[in-house]
Amino acid sequence: MSMNIFRYELKAYRKSAIIWACAMTLLAVVYIFLFKGLGSDIENFQAFLNNLPEVIKKGFNILVDSISTLEGFYSFVFSFVLLCGAIQAMNLGTDIVSKEVRAKTADFLLTKPVSRINILTSKLLAALSALVITNSIYLGLTVLTAVAVVEAFNLKIFFLISLTMFFVQLIFLALGFLISVMAGKIESVISVSLSTVFGFYILGSLGSFMGEARIRYFSPFRYFDAAYIIKHAAYETSFVVIGIVFIIAALAGSCLIYLKKDIQAV
Amino acid sequence: MNVIEIKNLTKYYGKSRGIIDVSFNVAEGEIFGFIGPNGAGKSTAIRTLLALIYPTSGSAAIFGKDCIKYAPEIAKEVGYLPSEVFYYEKMKVIDLLNYAASFYKKDCRKRIKELAEIMDLDLKRRIDDLSFGNKKKVGIVQGLLHEPKLIILDEPTSGLDPLMQQKFFDLLLAENQKGATILLSSHVLSEVQRLCSRVAIIKEGKIIRLEKISDLTEHNYKKIKIKTKEQIEKDYFDLGGTNKLEVEGQKVSFLFKGDLNLILKKIADVEILNIWIEEPSLEEIFIHYYEKES
Repeated sequence: MSMNIFRYELKAYRKSAIIWACAMTLLAVVYIFLFKGLGSDIENFQAFLNNLPEVIKKGFNILVDSISTLEGFYSFVFSFVLLCGAIQAMNLGTDIVSKEVRAKTADFLLTKPVSRINILTSKLLAALSALVITNSIYLGLTVLTAVAVVEAFNLKIFFLISLTMFFVQLIFLALGFLISVMAGKIESVISVSLSTVFGFYILGSLGSFMGEARIRYFSPFRYFDAAYIIKHAAYETSFVVIGIVFIIAALAGSCLIYLKKDIQAV
Repeated sequence: MNVIEIKNLTKYYGKSRGIIDVSFNVAEGEIFGFIGPNGAGKSTAIRTLLALIYPTSGSAAIFGKDCIKYAPEIAKEVGYLPSEVFYYEKMKVIDLLNYAASFYKKDCRKRIKELAEIMDLDLKRRIDDLSFGNKKKVGIVQGLLHEPKLIILDEPTSGLDPLMQQKFFDLLLAENQKGATILLSSHVLSEVQRLCSRVAIIKEGKIIRLEKISDLTEHNYKKIKIKTKEQIEKDYFDLGGTNKLEVEGQKVSFLFKGDLNLILKKIADVEILNIWIEEPSLEEIFIHYYEKES
């Protein structure tokens, strides 16, 4: 790894990592306060949700049984936080490599005394650090808020659910990396990342609507089922394995492609 | 010792031609020109040397090391100035130069200041506020700040005004005096003529000629223009070694290659009003040569 590339890239993405973290934290914190505000009314709310059609409950991740606990209530808003996190990670992964082509700075970087693998590793680690920053802020502030506001809740489960964001982000980061090294030139990062992320999100929701369990394997959004986590206080091993295998394969593939790639003149 | 050794280098982009079977060497301390029209393959050859693209076949070595395999190591001693320079737009000039310098394990601050002064470059401005010419200056400083042993320039003077061009050439000559080898690609032959000692002429991906500039200009051709008193026969000067003969009333012009005594005797036999004997520009020789090839 080259420290100078790492520092440069981290500096470039630090601000956005913090902004994303703040936005996501705000969303979660509002819900924690909402949960506190509902107080004993939560049971009426639960009864109302119970009357909703089954598809809607499934599609929107509403866990009626546990909605009266903070973990269950939180898992509903968390699916949107996860969506934000996925967009952030996908943006980051796609942008960090493709920007050199877009801004035509690839010549500058690749004629310096660093190997391509070194450049890619430094960029990957910088992106990873940006995600760690986001997750630390998010986890720290939401857990703190929950502890301060809500008296009784299962901290471990709350933490396990929140931590899934980091895993899902890693998957999208790796996917973004792979797409950006494969593509010649990406004009708009946001359109690539939004369409990919929403594509997977809709695919996952469709799977739930239709009750098709196998679709879960194709949408990272469904790798970590909140109901399962609440019930078992653990992740489903098979999905963790699939996630890790995908991340490694995507990153290794990105490296191989990038090493062999011709950097075209602008 | 040869700083650059290119052997049978071929590059195809899919099916389209980049360069075909290019071979030449550049010796240490030499200023070597690489000329040809746009699209002839100059940039392809240079980008392969820099390991930005990979050759289809053949090989190239810089400092005796394979330029693909040892690219990062070679890059320590290579300075590169592309024809169009692009940098991280949001950075200040000085931050970009410091970032560039951070890749080399030496203190370049003094050299950055010197170069910026010579090139009259404002270090505090943002890259995206710079004009094309000023960006080019950033490129020059960026390419030279680590005092490379090999300087590779791809169409370097576009966008620089004549005064800056002169300063830049002086700078290159000074680097050359200090021992740097220079490879300069261009389609502007006069600048190659001004700087280089040897040239490779490339056309449609192939090297068609490899020569000393001095051979090309001094020993081969004289450009002769004559104004005669009387109109002469159109083929009066059409003897062996005459090229591009043009007779227009009393004005005659042609390129001559061969025994000068022969042509002088020929001229002495007619009554002339005026005479110009010049070294032809490389352009004139080059275009002539190009026509002959095609």
